[in-house]
Amino acid sequence: MDLQEISLKLQAGKAKDVKQLVQQAIDEGIPAQEILEQGLISGMNVVGEKFKNNEVFVPEVLVAARAMNMGAKLLKPLLTAEGVKANGKVCIGTVKGDLHDIGKNLVKMMLEGKGIEVVDLGTDVAPETFVQTAKDQNCQIICCSALLTTTMGVMEDVVKAAENAGIRDQVKIMIGGAPITDAFCKQIGADAYTPDAASAADVAVDFCS
Amino acid sequence: MNSFERVTTALHHQVPDRVPVYPILSGVNRRLVGADYPTWSTNAEVCAAGFLKTAEQFDIDCLVSLIDLSVECDAWGQKIVYPENEAAHPDYAHPVIQDIDDYAKIQKVDYRQSKRMMMHIDVVKRLAAEKKGKLPIIAFVFGPLGTLSMLRNQQELYMDLYDDPDAVRDATWRVAETLAEYAGALCDAGADAIMWDTLMASGSIMSKQMWTDMEAGPMRMLAQTVRDHGCLNMIHNCGQKIYFDAQIEAVQPAAISFLYPPDDCRDFAECKEKYGDKVALIGCVTPANAVVGTDAEWDQQCTDQIDAMAKGGGFILATGCEYPANASFDRAERMIRIAQTYGAYHP
Repeated sequence: MDLQEISLKLQAGKAKDVKQLVQQAIDEGIPAQEILEQGLISGMNVVGEKFKNNEVFVPEVLVAARAMNMGAKLLKPLLTAEGVKANGKVCIGTVKGDLHDIGKNLVKMMLEGKGIEVVDLGTDVAPETFVQTAKDQNCQIICCSALLTTTMGVMEDVVKAAENAGIRDQVKIMIGGAPITDAFCKQIGADAYTPDAASAADVAVDFCS
Repeated sequence: MNSFERVTTALHHQVPDRVPVYPILSGVNRRLVGADYPTWSTNAEVCAAGFLKTAEQFDIDCLVSLIDLSVECDAWGQKIVYPENEAAHPDYAHPVIQDIDDYAKIQKVDYRQSKRMMMHIDVVKRLAAEKKGKLPIIAFVFGPLGTLSMLRNQQELYMDLYDDPDAVRDATWRVAETLAEYAGALCDAGADAIMWDTLMASGSIMSKQMWTDMEAGPMRMLAQTVRDHGCLNMIHNCGQKIYFDAQIEAVQPAAISFLYPPDDCRDFAECKEKYGDKVALIGCVTPANAVVGTDAEWDQQCTDQIDAMAKGGGFILATGCEYPANASFDRAERMIRIAQTYGAYHP
């Protein structure tokens, strides 16, 4: 089968179709990595690019990511069996005191769309949890999200916690969220601020490569 | 020229004595009356006292009764969480709309059954009793689609817009019918204008077509209701790439309060050129900068805004969203001084 079909259905957010086509590709003996890269990741790359260019918007990204997850679930055990490694590993969360998660979730979806493994720590995440997870799971990047001016300061605590744990030179720290600016990123000593989820994924790919 | 005259002149696209100023001092004002956030968010007397204190203590030119974005969803029974040091918000674990089929549960309700809406009306009454005719009193209301997102959760709502747009649209209208009566009551309580938060009309959220399809109709009806009550409509939208054209078409607002240049403008100067004769512009200083960077950088941003948008009137210097609730008042005061000095119009 033509894996482009999976990519197109994913871009259209057709989760059931994606699931069905991925199963069909598996049944036809196409390697899982090929299905992942030429079907799912290829589709999410198009969605990410269109999102960055304001050709598609949050609802379209969400339904595309939902479709990707349906396909990825089928592929996961096969990828493990084939010994396929992810393009990088990231832990992500919304910082302590902040319960907003849509921005964080969008970044997670975009990262997964780039073939990066994501450890989702959820919301209200303490600086120590970010750092301990990065240490325990060998994450190359810590991604912190905050929506509130009252919680953005926690990002600086994450940077300090990484320094105190002695892993600052082994991990990149990326930050984002409505009140965050490039100036704030520089001020707290984080490695990158990105204004949207698609750009975050692009920067993460650079950091992981 | 008092503040009311100054703002009114600016809204009429004429030149007042100086640029009016309002660094959206909302939740932060609880500290002026020694209140914690939960008390300030639920007690009209305390909340109004906080707003009035900002007018006493600082030379601001209007009062915007922004309490938080979960005032409206209370009318449908949404459980609200009142944290000690941040704005109240819905209990995200227990939304009223738990499933796409639950949109059918959203019907027009009687706003008078909502403690939070009634509290807000009471706040506006108290502000009007003290300041009517001296300071414009602008009642802040979350728009119907935003209110609906507080009853669901944003991520689910965005997918529902794709999966079952008719269900979301119908519920948006039912919310709007309730908000119409509520907005009317706020006008009757003494508000000079209703400032609608139309957060979803933004290129960082949904397409212009989707917003127009979902919320423009209800917003048109709401705006007419406010006009029928003899009040002005304003818009607040702190999203990126917001749709000035679509929102102006639907609401015909007297002013738009915003943080980023609209989707069809490269920068604030182009926004002034393109929309300055159609709508008064309010903004657009980045509120987070009240807690980041130097005083000089803050001042520069304030003067940049004046340079870009104050020419010929039709501009109010403000933060593009709420002033940080736990920030020092120092930078708000700096903004006010800049409006008084750098923002003076010379005949």
